Amino acid sequence: MKLQELDFRAAEIVALYEFKKAAMLPLLWLVQENQGWISPEAEDWVGTTLGVARSHVHEVVTFYTMFHTAPVGRRELRVCTSLPCLLRGSGDVLRRIQDEWKIAPGETSAGGEVTLTEVECLCACEMSPMAQLDEAFVGPLDDATLGTVMRASFEAPESSAALPEPEPYISMDGPVLSTNFKNIGGTWFDEYVAGGGYGAAEKALTSMSRAEVIEEVINANLRGLGGAGFPTGRKWSFVPKESEKPVFLIANADEGEPGTFKDRYIMERDPHALIEGMLIAAHAIGCHKGYVYIRGEYFRSAKRLQRAIDEAHAQGWLGDDIRGTGFAFDIVIHRGAGAYICGEETALLTSLEGGKGFPRLKPPFPAISGLFQCPTIVNNVETLACVPFIIKNGAERFAAIGTKVQGGTRLFCVSGHVNRPGVYEAPVSVSLRGLIEDAALGLREGKKLKAVIPGGISAKILAADEIDVAMDFNSLMKAGSMAGSGGVIVMDETTCMVEALDSASRFFADESCGQCSPCREGTGWIHRILTRITAGEGKLQDLDDMLTIAGDMEGKTICVFADAAAWPVQSYIAKFKEEFEEFIRSGRRLENKETETCSS
Amino acid sequence: MLKLTIDGSEIEVQQGTTVIQAAEQLGVFIPRYCYHPGLSIAGNCRICLVEVEGNPKLQVACNLPAMDGMVVNTKSDGAEEGRRSVLEFLLANHPLDCPVCDQAGECDLQNFYMNFGLYDPRFREHKNKKKKAVELGPHVMLDQERCILCSRCVRFTDEITKTGEFGIFNRGDKAEVGIVPGEVFDNPYSGNVVDICPVGALTEGDFRFKARVWYLKGASTVCNGCSQGCNIDMHYVLDRPHLNDGARLVRVKPRYNADVNEWWLCDEGRYGFGWLDHERLTEVRVPGTNGTPATWESSLDRIAAALRDADGARIGVIASAQLTTEELFLIREIFQRGLGARVSARVPEQPGTSDDLLIKADKNPNTQGAALLGLAGPAAPDGTDLIADARAGKLDLLWIFGHDLVQLFGMSEAREVAEQVSLLVYSGTNENPTADLAHVVLPSAAYVEKDGTFVNVHGRLQRIGRAFPPVGDSREDWRVLLELAGRLDLPVAGSGVQEVFAQLAAAEAWVPTASYAELGDQGLATTAHEEAPSS
Repeated sequence: MKLQELDFRAAEIVALYEFKKAAMLPLLWLVQENQGWISPEAEDWVGTTLGVARSHVHEVVTFYTMFHTAPVGRRELRVCTSLPCLLRGSGDVLRRIQDEWKIAPGETSAGGEVTLTEVECLCACEMSPMAQLDEAFVGPLDDATLGTVMRASFEAPESSAALPEPEPYISMDGPVLSTNFKNIGGTWFDEYVAGGGYGAAEKALTSMSRAEVIEEVINANLRGLGGAGFPTGRKWSFVPKESEKPVFLIANADEGEPGTFKDRYIMERDPHALIEGMLIAAHAIGCHKGYVYIRGEYFRSAKRLQRAIDEAHAQGWLGDDIRGTGFAFDIVIHRGAGAYICGEETALLTSLEGGKGFPRLKPPFPAISGLFQCPTIVNNVETLACVPFIIKNGAERFAAIGTKVQGGTRLFCVSGHVNRPGVYEAPVSVSLRGLIEDAALGLREGKKLKAVIPGGISAKILAADEIDVAMDFNSLMKAGSMAGSGGVIVMDETTCMVEALDSASRFFADESCGQCSPCREGTGWIHRILTRITAGEGKLQDLDDMLTIAGDMEGKTICVFADAAAWPVQSYIAKFKEEFEEFIRSGRRLENKETETCSS
Repeated sequence: MLKLTIDGSEIEVQQGTTVIQAAEQLGVFIPRYCYHPGLSIAGNCRICLVEVEGNPKLQVACNLPAMDGMVVNTKSDGAEEGRRSVLEFLLANHPLDCPVCDQAGECDLQNFYMNFGLYDPRFREHKNKKKKAVELGPHVMLDQERCILCSRCVRFTDEITKTGEFGIFNRGDKAEVGIVPGEVFDNPYSGNVVDICPVGALTEGDFRFKARVWYLKGASTVCNGCSQGCNIDMHYVLDRPHLNDGARLVRVKPRYNADVNEWWLCDEGRYGFGWLDHERLTEVRVPGTNGTPATWESSLDRIAAALRDADGARIGVIASAQLTTEELFLIREIFQRGLGARVSARVPEQPGTSDDLLIKADKNPNTQGAALLGLAGPAAPDGTDLIADARAGKLDLLWIFGHDLVQLFGMSEAREVAEQVSLLVYSGTNENPTADLAHVVLPSAAYVEKDGTFVNVHGRLQRIGRAFPPVGDSREDWRVLLELAGRLDLPVAGSGVQEVFAQLAAAEAWVPTASYAELGDQGLATTAHEEAPSS
C-alpha cells in the first residue's frame, strides 16, 4: 500500500489530538500495520504529515522497541525472558526455539515466516513462561503448547490454528474491582448496567459538586495504585479550580512493571469500570478530554476498551452532553510502542505528545502544566476503576476495607514459584504470607520459600522470614520495601539470586530511556558486571563496586527509574551476600542447596 | 529581587534567575555540560548538582529557581561527591582517546576531571562501541563514542536554526547522537555545533588534526564577512608553520556579544578566511619599470606629486566599506575635504544571501561607517558616475580601494578606465584583475593585521584587533593615508589608530566616545540606529 493512500486515515487520526505531533505514535503504528516496518520514506511521510523534522521521527522509531526499522517476518514471536518468566523456565523456551529454528533473537526464519524477538516483561506473568505471537499472548509454554505456538508461527496469520488460551486463576469475588472478572470475554454495556454500572457516574454528575467528589475520594483514602501511592483525591485537588486552559485526564494503562498484570484484566474484562471511573474523575477536575495510554503490547486490551468506549458513546455516557447533564467528556485511546519508562507519568506525557519517552524536569508538575502544557491528572487504571465503588457506596465503606491510611482493596498479582499464579483482589491489609500461602496456594512442588519481591521488580527484595507484613503502602515501606504495583514475585529455594539480579539488571539497562547520565551509564555498567559474574568471571570487588554504583545512581536523576534500578542491587546483595560471594568464588550457581546456606 | 546564599556569600538576583546563573553572577563556577545559556534547559547531564539546605536530595542548579533565603552549597562533601560520581558515569563508556582528539586541551571532560573528578576509575567492563569519524557534512565530524548525549547540538538545530537535523537515536546506553542516515548536515550555521559540543564528539573537519589547541594564539576581532559584525576570535599559529601548511590563521570562533551575535557565527564567516593567507599582495608593484623594484617611498612620492598637480575635480577615489572607519575618515579628510576630490564608497555590489538570524545581504562590514561619513548610502556620490567620468576622460587620477572594477563594471569598462586616467592606483589585500590593470599597486594589510573600527548594520561601533603583523611588505591603509597626508601637508596627523579615532570622534557627533580604548571588546552603540540603506 502506498503511503499516500494512508493520508485520509492519517487526517482522521490527527483530528483526535489537540496538537498534530501527538499523532506520532498512532501514525507510525498505521504505517507498520500496512507496510510491516517503518521505512525511511515512511519516516518522511510521517514527518511531513505532522510537521516534524525527520530526525525526530527517527528518534521516536528507534526509541520504541515495537517499531521495526527493517523488514521483518510475516509473523513475530516475542518471547519474554524477564524475571517472572525466567523463574518458570523461559530460558529453556528460548533455547528450544533457537535450536529448532536455527535463528537468534532479532533474526527472521529463512523463508521469511517469522521473526524471533526476545522481550522484557509483557506483563502476563500469570501465564509464564509466556510469549506473544503477533497480538496474542500465549502461555504457559510447556512442551505441548510451545510446539503448537511454534507451528502456528510458520502458518499464515489468517489460517493459523487456535492458540492455547490460558485460564489462570483470577479472583472474582470483589468487592471492589473483580466482581465482573467472571466474564472472560468482557463485561459489556448491558451487563455492566445490570450490575449497577454507571449509577455512580449518574450520582456524581447529577447530585455532587466537583469539590464533593474530591472530598469523597480523599475520605476514602484511595491511593495511587500504579505504584507511587500518592493520595488520589489530593492529587485531583491540585488542578487549578478556574483553569483558562483545558484540563486533561489520562488513564495510565502503560502497565509494565515486571510481575504486574492487573490493569489488563480491568480493561479486558470490565472496561466500563475504567470509563465510569474516568468520567467521575473528569467531573471532579473539570476535564472534558481523557486519554488512555495503553502499552503497545496490549493489543486486546486496546480493542476491548475501544469497544466499550463506542458502547458508552452510543448510550450517551460519553460525548458532548452526557445523559442530559450538559457535561461533555470524551476518551481517546493512545497506544504506546514498547517502552517501560512511559509508565512514568511525565515520560507518558512526552510520549503522548509524540516524542521519545523522556521524563520531564519538575517543576512544573503535571497538575499545573502537563499534557500540551495544560493542567493534567494522570491516574493508574486500577485507581480509576476504584472510583465508581467509592461514589456508589460511600467513602466510609471503601476506607473501612483497608487500613487507616489506605482504603480499599488491590488486585495483587502473584507470579513465580507458586502453585497458582494469578490476580487476587484482597484488602490492602492482607499479609504477604496470606497472598502466597492462602491465595496462590503456596510454593509449587513443596519447595521452600527463598525470597519475595512484594511490589514489582523495582521493590527491594524480602527474605523468606520477612513475609509477615501487610501489603499496604505504609507497612511495606516500614519493612524496607514498597507496595509498588502490587506485583508479588515469589522465589523458591532453587532460585539463584545472582541470575535473578542479572535478569533484573538487564531489564533496567534495556529500559533506561538514556536521558540522565547516571541512569544511562549506571544501569548498563551494573548489568555488564553481573553478566561477567554469571559467566564465571566475577571478582569479589564487584560486589562493593555494584553497591557504590547503585548508591551513586540514587537520587541524582530526573525520575526515579535510576533509584528503582538501584534498589534490587542493594537489597539482593545485602540479603544474599554469601550466595553472591560463593558464586563469584566458584564461578557458577548453587544447585539445589538449602535456603539456609545461601541466605545470610 | 530576592536574596540567596551560595557558598557562604549572599547575592541578590532577579526573580526567575536559576541557581547556576546566580552562582555565575557571584563568580562561582558550577560545572555544566547540557546547560547552555543560549538553549533551553535539558537537565540531563546532572553534573551541576548542588546541595540546598533543607533538601535531602541534590538538585541540578541549571533548573533550580533561586528563591529568597535559599542556602546553596556547591562545595560541600555531598555536592562534590555527586559531581564526582556523575563524571565517573559520563566517562565510563568514553573512549579516552584524548591523544588523537582535536578537542583535547579545550575539553570539558578533561577540565572537569581535573577540577572536580580526580577519582580512581572503577570501570573495568568492555566499553560500548559506536561510530567514529563520521563526516556529517562539509564542516562537521562526529565521534559517537566521545558523545555524552548532552543534546546541545539537538537543541541548537531545533531552537536556533530551526532546521532540526540532529537527533538522539535508540535509548539507554545504546543512545547515539546523529543526523538522519543519508542526510547532509550543511545548514549555514553548522559550525556552531562544534563550539557548543562540550566534548570531542563534534569537531571541525577543517581543523581536523591540524594543531593541538594549546599551540594556538587568539586575537579578538570582528568578522568582516557581512554588515552584522559578529564578534570573533581568530586562532592563529606563527611559530609552527608546519602545522598549517604555512598559513597563519587556523580557525575562527565566535565570541559572545549579547547585542550582536550572542554565541553564534555563520559558516560563511567562520570558514571564509582562506583569502587572508592566499594570493596576497605582498609588495608594491609598478608595472613597466623594467625590473627596478618599486618602493613605498618612491610610489607615495609619485602619487603625492600627481595629486598636488591635479585639479581636485579630476581626482577620484573609490573607497570601500571593507575599510575601517578611521581609514574612511582619513580618505574623506584627505581627498574630499583636503583636495576637493570626488570620493565614493557607493558601488553597485550585488547583495548576497541573508536570513533573519545573523547573515546580512550586505557583505561589507562597514557600510554603516561609510554612510555616517557621507561616503555611502543614497545621498553619497555615486561610484558609477565616477567610473563613467573616468571612461569619458574626465579624471586624471583614480584610486581604487579593494574593489574589483572588472567584477563591478566589466572587463572592457575597466580597461577603458585604466587607459583614460593617467594614474590608476590600486590598494588591496589580494590579487585581482583590477590589480593587474593598475599603474601602481599598493599592498594593504588585511583586517586581522590592523586596528580600527567597523560600524555594523545596527549602528554598533566595534573595534577590530590586530592579531599579527601585515604580511610581506603590505601596510595598513590608515598608515599609508597618514604618510600621504604628511606629504601633502594636510592637517590630519598621528602615528596610530587611536589618534585618528580621537580626530574622528572630534569631527563626528555620532561617535559615542573619544577614547578608542573605551569601546572595549563589545563595542558601543552609536546614535545611528537605522539600518544602513542599501547603496
